[in-house]
Amino acid sequence: MNTTVDTKNKTKKRKRASLNTRKARMGWIFVLPFVLGLILVYIPVIIESISYSLAEYNTISAIQGGGYTLTWVGLDNFKEVFKLVVDSKTGETFIEMMVTDLGQQAIDIVAILMLSLFIAVLLNQKMVGRAAFRAIFFIPVVVGAGIMTKIDATSATILSTASGMLEEIDTGSVAGGGFGGIASAMDIGAMFESLGFGGELVTIVSDLVGNIMNIVNRSGVQMLIFLAGVQSISPSIYESCQVEGASAWEIFWKITLPMLSPMILANAIYTVVDAFTSEGNKVMASIIGENGAISPDPIAAAKAWLYFAMVAVALMAVMGICSTFVFYQRRNDK
Amino acid sequence: MNSQTKITKESKNKIRADFDRAPLSERLKAKYLNTFFYKKVISYLFRFLLLLGISYVILYPFASKIMQSIFSPADLLQTDVLLVSKYPTLDTYQYLITENGYLEALLNTGVLSLMCAVIQTFICAFIGYGFAKFKFKGNSFIFGLVLFTLLVPHKVLASAFVQHFVNFDFLGILESTLYKWLDWKTGLHGTYAPFVLMSATGLGFKNGLFILLFRQFYRGIPDELEEASYVDGYGTFKTFFRIILPCSVPMLITVFVLSFSWQWTDIFYTNLFLPNSDTVLLTSNAFWSAMPATLKEISETVLLGNLTATNSYSAIVMNTAGMLVVAPLVVLYLFCQRYLIQGIEHSGFGGV
Repeated sequence: MNTTVDTKNKTKKRKRASLNTRKARMGWIFVLPFVLGLILVYIPVIIESISYSLAEYNTISAIQGGGYTLTWVGLDNFKEVFKLVVDSKTGETFIEMMVTDLGQQAIDIVAILMLSLFIAVLLNQKMVGRAAFRAIFFIPVVVGAGIMTKIDATSATILSTASGMLEEIDTGSVAGGGFGGIASAMDIGAMFESLGFGGELVTIVSDLVGNIMNIVNRSGVQMLIFLAGVQSISPSIYESCQVEGASAWEIFWKITLPMLSPMILANAIYTVVDAFTSEGNKVMASIIGENGAISPDPIAAAKAWLYFAMVAVALMAVMGICSTFVFYQRRNDK
Repeated sequence: MNSQTKITKESKNKIRADFDRAPLSERLKAKYLNTFFYKKVISYLFRFLLLLGISYVILYPFASKIMQSIFSPADLLQTDVLLVSKYPTLDTYQYLITENGYLEALLNTGVLSLMCAVIQTFICAFIGYGFAKFKFKGNSFIFGLVLFTLLVPHKVLASAFVQHFVNFDFLGILESTLYKWLDWKTGLHGTYAPFVLMSATGLGFKNGLFILLFRQFYRGIPDELEEASYVDGYGTFKTFFRIILPCSVPMLITVFVLSFSWQWTDIFYTNLFLPNSDTVLLTSNAFWSAMPATLKEISETVLLGNLTATNSYSAIVMNTAGMLVVAPLVVLYLFCQRYLIQGIEHSGFGGV
C-alpha cells in the first residue's frame, strides 16, 4: 500500500518538474527579444560609453584617414569632472550643481506626486464635464513630451538672446509658460511672510507656483496610473465605510491612500527616473551639451556616469522610504 | 395624516391621493438651507474651479501659440498687440507647408510612428508576458535590467549609439553583404533600421515602462485561464495569441497610443539616427527649426533689422511648426482618448 503511494508521488513529482523546466524554457523564449537587444545593442553601447569616460579622445585628421582614437587614461576624466566649474560667475562646480539640482528635483517630485494623486481622486468623482476634463488632463501625456518642450526651450533661448527689451511681445506666452508672472503678481512672498512663515518655505512655494505649468505637464502618466489605481479599489469598501459613518476625509486617509500605496511606490520610481533623466534639468542639459554630443566626449561621459551613480543612490533611497509605507492587500494567490 | 388624505378615483385604474403638504417655501428651506447642501455646493464649486484652473494652465500655451501663429511681422512692431493679431495672415502656415515639405514629413512620420508603435506594443506585451507568467532562473535579474534600461537616459548614450550603429555588424557578415548591396555607407545609421531594431528588442523610448505595465497587467490575469487553455490542447504560443492577447486589448490600446505619440513627438532619436538624410520627419531639425526662405524675406523687408522683433518672429514660426507637428496627433487623440483612459482603467494595474 505504502509503496504504491510512493511511486505515484514520485511519478507525479517528476512530471511536474519537467513541466516546470518546459515552462522555464518558454519563459526564456518570451524574454528572448529583450535579451537579444541587450547583447546586440544595449551592452555594447553601455560598454562603449563607459570606455569613453575612461579615455582621451583624439580625432585623426582626414588626410590620415579620418576617424578617432581613444587612449586609456584611467580615472583622469572623473578627477577633472570633480574640479569642473560650470558657472564661471558664481564658481559653482559640477558636483555642487548636481547636489543643488537634487534638492530642487526632490521638491518637484513630491509636488508632482501630490498633484497627480489629488487630480486623480478628483477626476474619479462624478461631476459635470468629467469626460472633458479627463481629455484635457491627458493631453500633456500625448503631446507634452519631446518636440514641444524642445521648441519652448529653443524659442526661450532665442528670445533671451535678443538684445533689447522684450516688451513688444510677451516672452512667456511665446515660450509656452508665461506663469512666472502669477507668483509675482499675487505677491505670494509678502502674503506668506505676513502669515509668519520662514523665508525658505516662501521661496519653495513661490517657485512651485511659478513652475506650475511644468509640474502639471510632467504629471500626466502618474495621473493615469493613479486613476487606474483608484478605479481598482472595490466600491464595497467605501460603502461599508460610509455605513460605519466615516467622513470623506477619513475615508481618504484610511482607505484610498493605503490602497493606493503600491501605485505611489511605482509612481515615485517613475517620477524620479523621469525627473532626473529629462532634458529639462540643468545637469542633463550640461551633460548633453549644445551640439547633442554626436561625437564621443569623454568628459560628458564621465559626467553622465557620475550623475547616474547619484541618481541610482537617490532611487534606492526613494524606494527604501516608500516601500516601508506600502500596504499590500493580501490576496489568496500570493 | 390619514384624516387629511383625500383619495379620489380618477379612472378605472387610477386613483389620486391628495394630502396636505408643507408649503413650498418651507420645503425649499428644508432642502437647501442646511449645512449638508452648503458643503456640497462649496466642494463642488471648489473642485470645478480647481479643475478649470489647471485645464487653463494646460491649454493656455496651445491657445497662445495658435493665436500667435497668425501673426504677421507687422504685428510685432505694434506695441499694443499681445495676443490677438491686428494684421492676421496665414503665410506662416502656407510657407511651412509648401517650403518645408510638411506633407511629405507628415507621411514619413506617420509611417515610422505606426511601424514603431505596432512593433513596440506587440514586443513589449510578449516580453511582459514572459516576465509575468514564467518562473525561470534569472527572471528577476533580467527584469532588473529592464528597469536599468529605463533608468539610464539614452541621451547620455547618444554618441555611443551613433558609433554602434555606424559600425553595426555581426562577425563582418553584414558589411560584406547587406551594406554592399544597399550601398549604405554609414552602416545602419541614417536609415529606419535602428528604430526597428530598438523597437523589436524592447529598447525604444520608455519601453521599459511598457514592459513593466504589461507585466503588472498579466500578473492580474488568473492562471486558471491558461491552464484551461493548456488542457484544451493549446500550446504556449497559441495560448498567448488566441487567449491572452485578446484579453489585453485595453492595455494594448493604452501602450499603442503612448508609444505612437511618443514616437511622433520624439526629437532625440529622429535627429540622432536620421540627421541630414533625405527622409525628413516632422521632428527633424530640417522641418521644425528651419525658417522658410519666403518668410525670412518677408520678415527682413518688414522688420528692417529690428533684432528683438526678428527673434520674436522666428520663435513664432517655430511655435507654428510645433503646432503643425502636434495638430494631427491632437485630432487622433480626441478620437481615441476614450480608449486610452478606459484602457488604463480596466488594466487592473491596481493589482500591483
